Amino acid sequence: MLTENVLRNRTADPSEAERALLESAVSHTQTYSAEQVVVRQGIPVEISTLLIKGLMTRHVDAPDGRRHLVALHVPGDFVDLHAYALKRLDHDVAALTDVTVAIFPHASLEKIQESDTRLTRRLWFLTLLDAAMHRQWIYRLASLNATQRVAHFLCETNARLFAIGASDGRTFSLPMTQADIGEVCSLTNVHVNRVLRELREAQLCNLRASRVEILDLRGLVAKAMFDPQYLYLNPALAARSSAQ
Amino acid sequence: MAHIESRPAPREDAGQASAEDGVVMLDGPDGVAVTMTADAAVQTADSLLAAAEMARRQLAASATGIDDR
Repeated sequence: MLTENVLRNRTADPSEAERALLESAVSHTQTYSAEQVVVRQGIPVEISTLLIKGLMTRHVDAPDGRRHLVALHVPGDFVDLHAYALKRLDHDVAALTDVTVAIFPHASLEKIQESDTRLTRRLWFLTLLDAAMHRQWIYRLASLNATQRVAHFLCETNARLFAIGASDGRTFSLPMTQADIGEVCSLTNVHVNRVLRELREAQLCNLRASRVEILDLRGLVAKAMFDPQYLYLNPALAARSSAQ
Repeated sequence: MAHIESRPAPREDAGQASAEDGVVMLDGPDGVAVTMTADAAVQTADSLLAAAEMARRQLAASATGIDDR
């Protein structure tokens, strides 16, 4: 099922009937290669995109040409559901890896909005979840030091992937370069490299060959000052993802 | 509930500079995490020293009531 990961293991997990209705709104699936821009900033849009497989990013290009990565998306995320209401994006959406996406014409979403208030509320929940993560990303960059930023990002990604069964709670695939992590955490490559070494030497986690192995989840969570409340996971999963 | 004042205030703890792979990294205080070339680090250090000296003079002047800007 294309929509199996939408709000999976969140506090607003859809029913099977709601998933089926959402699935029926998909017009088609599409694949993109890594680094391909999927939706461009400022272009009028009449579709929204659900990530099925791979990783995607939202980024903002500064006037001086620098790219700022402002969100990372995992399967089950609507990467631009807000376009349903906004009709154009204030950022680009790009494929970080090769990806498969499902396309939702806005006309189909409009039918859901007219016919199913509960599912509409869940879709609204998705965009609010986006906003919660954006707030946390602002906090991360404003208040955490370099080591905490990377640790926080790894804890968050572990929790999000755990929710969709793509992490066992301690190990997961993360096909991101150190430059990508640097963009997320606003750090240079050499800084990221040093932080990852520190985390490894502290026996907290290992990132090698695009695979993250968390050696001490409780320690990593403490280092990151990570509290998964903003991810609105179901309570059991939230507790496990923060070693409670 | 206890609440820690979150308005930015002057830090009393220092940042820590280190060198790696031919660049300088400055970590802290607070959320500072920046990488600089050696030349930029020296210029930043000079600028910080000059500003610190000026800030001390300003404090001394305000204590005595003499404007020494």
